[in-house]
Amino acid sequence: MKPDMPLPVLEASSIVKRFGGAVAVDDVSIAVSAGEIHAVVGENGAGKSTLMRVLAGILTADQGTVKVGGELLEGGAKGSLEAGIALVHQELSLIPEMTVAENIMLGSTPTSYGFIRTRQLKAAAAEALDEIGVSVDLNESVARLSVALRQFVEIARAVARKPRVLILDEPTATLTPAETDHLLAMLQRLANRGMAIIYISHRIPEVFTICTTITVLRDGKVVDSTPLVETTPSAVIDKMVGRELSLDLSSRRVATPGALVLSARGIRAHNVNGVDLDVRSGEIIGLGGLVGAGRTELVRAIVGADPRYGGTVTLWVDGHPRNITSYQPAVRAGIGYVPEERRTDGLALTMSVSDNIALPNRRELSSAGVILAGKTARFASNLADAVGLRPPVITRDVGEYSGGNQQKVVIAKWLGRKPRFIVLDEPTRGVDVGAKAEIHRIVRELADNGAAVLVVSSDLPELLELSDVIHVVRDGRITGTLSAADANEKSVMSLASGENLVGA
Amino acid sequence: MADQTTTAAVPPRAASDEPGLAKGRFSLLVWMSERGVFLFTALLVVVAVVFVNGFASLANITDVFYRAAPIGIVAVGMTFVVISANYLDLSVVAQVATASVILVGVSNTAGFPAAIGLALVVALLYGVVNGLAVGVFKANAVIVTLSTTFIGLGILRWLSGGSIFFGPEDGPIRAFGQAKLGPIPLSALVLLVITAVLWFVLTRTNFGFLIRSFGSNKAATRLAGVNTALVVVGAFVITSLAAMLAGFVLAAFSNTAVSTMSDGYDFSALAAIIIGGTSVFGGKGSVLRTLLGVIFVSVLTNILVLLGIGFGLQQVAIGALIVLAVSVDALARRVGKK
Repeated sequence: MKPDMPLPVLEASSIVKRFGGAVAVDDVSIAVSAGEIHAVVGENGAGKSTLMRVLAGILTADQGTVKVGGELLEGGAKGSLEAGIALVHQELSLIPEMTVAENIMLGSTPTSYGFIRTRQLKAAAAEALDEIGVSVDLNESVARLSVALRQFVEIARAVARKPRVLILDEPTATLTPAETDHLLAMLQRLANRGMAIIYISHRIPEVFTICTTITVLRDGKVVDSTPLVETTPSAVIDKMVGRELSLDLSSRRVATPGALVLSARGIRAHNVNGVDLDVRSGEIIGLGGLVGAGRTELVRAIVGADPRYGGTVTLWVDGHPRNITSYQPAVRAGIGYVPEERRTDGLALTMSVSDNIALPNRRELSSAGVILAGKTARFASNLADAVGLRPPVITRDVGEYSGGNQQKVVIAKWLGRKPRFIVLDEPTRGVDVGAKAEIHRIVRELADNGAAVLVVSSDLPELLELSDVIHVVRDGRITGTLSAADANEKSVMSLASGENLVGA
Repeated sequence: MADQTTTAAVPPRAASDEPGLAKGRFSLLVWMSERGVFLFTALLVVVAVVFVNGFASLANITDVFYRAAPIGIVAVGMTFVVISANYLDLSVVAQVATASVILVGVSNTAGFPAAIGLALVVALLYGVVNGLAVGVFKANAVIVTLSTTFIGLGILRWLSGGSIFFGPEDGPIRAFGQAKLGPIPLSALVLLVITAVLWFVLTRTNFGFLIRSFGSNKAATRLAGVNTALVVVGAFVITSLAAMLAGFVLAAFSNTAVSTMSDGYDFSALAAIIIGGTSVFGGKGSVLRTLLGVIFVSVLTNILVLLGIGFGLQQVAIGALIVLAVSVDALARRVGKK
């Protein structure tokens, strides 16, 4: 610590946390001062979230101490909260059926004689929303809010407790760039007022926008901790991954679109208001847009996972057009779908890698309804190798793997079907940089081998890097189409937000 | 971070690439909830042999087998419904009673093949109705099967007038009920054969794989292109067919049939399944361990009887055991998730 810096509000020393035999956090020390925004970065599984849960008292450290304002932290989650540590979780923890105000005040609801003091509750909730500069109806039920607004309500809930230390775990994972900017400005304001902030993110540019100090974790250890001005984004990424990584954005694939594979006409569904879409063999089409624009609803309606109100989908199977009306025939005809939520929709987490890969391929891996064990194991092994599963142990439960590896398994199970047309919805959300590069390689290979590929992504660099053509979706319609050559972050965002309709 | 045994098994570079893999950790709680039945059953049998007078006699062992067989057949069948994460099938009570009354009553008047044919039709009807309500309309399985129990027992009492049916003393039902291989009654062998068949179906066939996969994650199984309604109907049909066979075995035991003879089978079967370590959350379970659960429950009941403990206290013991077992299951699930 430099002599001119104030005493740290939060000081964790030599924290060790083990799960069984695995050391998740290994001798980590970190100190945060008032007014400081301290970034904690690292790949998935580096120990960031575990460390934060220790700081918030949700987990008890095996060794080491946490001090807040010089006082030793005790008493679990409740003790941490009382000491002024508030954690905004990675997964949203709001209650959808309750109102915005009730959610913000959850756990600190003002009462007298057991009755809720509604006026006081709303006043306190309004104050918290005001503090973070977000306007949302206090009486609206959270279920009706967009994902982004829910994230802000979550932050308001933490701020309402007037914490001395605010911890945010990947708050921007589901936010669009404009929403992210708003959030970053908000954090800056909170820090200027003297709050100590710990900010966890995968997104290095954000970190360099607002943070003052950065701590890089790898394999549960601190590999670097330095004022931000003394390092660079590429140096940080190198330290995170601990190896040279080629994230070469200029290595564009030369697309050679072939015959038409999928043609959707006049698609209408929940949040989808009439969309025409063609995808050719060997082509990667990207769907850009803001969260809630209707992209996921659109792709689910196309593959038949959710009902359509209108429109037709035609899939060309060996030159013959086939009408796609429902999901099971769609899968049988050669459509693959990697859903947005891999843990709830993509994987049976309590089953093995092999079982998960076998699921859509079971007909090919059985004879007269009896599973061919040897064939299944070879099939799953080959695919696990093809997607670079690490470690490639196909008998392990998928739930034991990290997010990036889990996503590779979801992709592997569809690779096995050699799909004619495949949809990947947010293929790398919450995935570390290494796995992300590998998933991009797999998606390109799919197209190179003749599949028609449709990718939904809120990650603009990813969308620009992968897509041959980008359709931008807004309010359930395609509002613009950009070729690879014309597309950049600005052109996609202006179409997505509708700025082009107002401005020049 | 490295757990040396794991890093050694894979290339070192790979290990450093993905530190995110949770290492295989051992939890006593998880082990107890899933595999504990092996230990508990063995311990119980040892305790019974050493400390309980009259347990280790040939006649008593045969009696345990007789009582275990029908409950066991219901339990291994119902394991399919539980693994498919559809809670349970309470209507097995009505199904077992109906099958016994049909077997004895109808064969007295219309002959043996007609009785078996009718019982089969009724079993399929139960399975399909329960399966469609739960699998297609997504109705709550507990309420659906509670209601079909009510309907089924109602029809049975209406048509049978609540009377007791007796089989002829020289008939095939009597003969089957009396047949033994050494100390082991034929009905217990039926239980073993059915367990073996259902074990094969659950672990080695596509249908069984889909039951487990659906139980582990319904949405992911549907999105893999599986007709999930068929999977649920299949699970209920398997349970119903097993309940039918249990009804036959139960009727043969006493050569009689009455609509109240299977009271409590829903609970006993559930006890065996849960003590056997099949999770009520679905996805995890085994018919072999259900079989052990059946042995555990039967031996425990037998011990209580031999010790002269009344029916009321037996119920208390079994009920308390289930509360304990489901609590351990739920706790283990939370620990396993961390």
